[in-house]
Amino acid sequence: MSLLFFYFFATMLVLSGLVVILAQNPLYNVLSLVVATFCLSNLFLLLEAYFVGIILLLVYAGAVLIFFLFVVMCLNLNNPSAFQNQNRFKISGWLLGSCFLASFFLTTKSYLLTRSLEPSSIRGTIEAIGKILFTEYVLPFELTSFLLLVATFGIVSLAQGSLKSR
Amino acid sequence: MIGLGHYLILSGILFAIGIIGVTTSRSVLRILLSLELLLAASNLSFVTFSKFNGDYAGQLIVFFVILVAAAEVAIGLAIVVLMYRHVSSIQADDLKDLKW
Repeated sequence: MSLLFFYFFATMLVLSGLVVILAQNPLYNVLSLVVATFCLSNLFLLLEAYFVGIILLLVYAGAVLIFFLFVVMCLNLNNPSAFQNQNRFKISGWLLGSCFLASFFLTTKSYLLTRSLEPSSIRGTIEAIGKILFTEYVLPFELTSFLLLVATFGIVSLAQGSLKSR
Repeated sequence: MIGLGHYLILSGILFAIGIIGVTTSRSVLRILLSLELLLAASNLSFVTFSKFNGDYAGQLIVFFVILVAAAEVAIGLAIVVLMYRHVSSIQADDLKDLKW
């Protein structure tokens, strides 16, 4: 049963990822990234990483990608020429991607021979994650809040500068 | 049973799609979206190894990556909006000036 779910969400993830990079309409790009995030969050649930899966759905799909959508609508890109791909690096880009994929397959294949494939019994519940987050990883956690503060300052100063110049 | 290899190969395919997106797109918005795909692929790897190694650190790193990506997206989109105001286009090719 879980194998069926895995293949369903994996196929959806790859297809929506392809729509992200291939569709010409910016709205389709953003909305298919929302679909990809939903599939990824379901894969996290299959891996029993419950907290991270829900956070991905809430913060990523709910806030970050809707922010993307908001900006796309704000920019009002009605003329198709503003969003066209010129495809100058198309061949080299696809070549680079397939070279990466080939070397990744070979490395993964040789790596999988050297280790056991049994999943452990850990569950990423809120209790387990919170316990380790507020004891061992409390310094990175505080630094992340500082990073978000600096990002807020950056956005405000960017917006202020553009208002002054007008 | 779903093994380690299934998840690793899926994350590799997703990462390759992200690389292709970053290199072939000319619009800044789609480059940002492809960067999100790259982050998603590495997140999948982290959670997979967290499950198969029995270590919570991988899931914590994914939590931090999500937070950092939120900051990165906010700054990136602010720069995209500024760029649209200055050159009224979001093609990366139109960013020719070093100073506005």
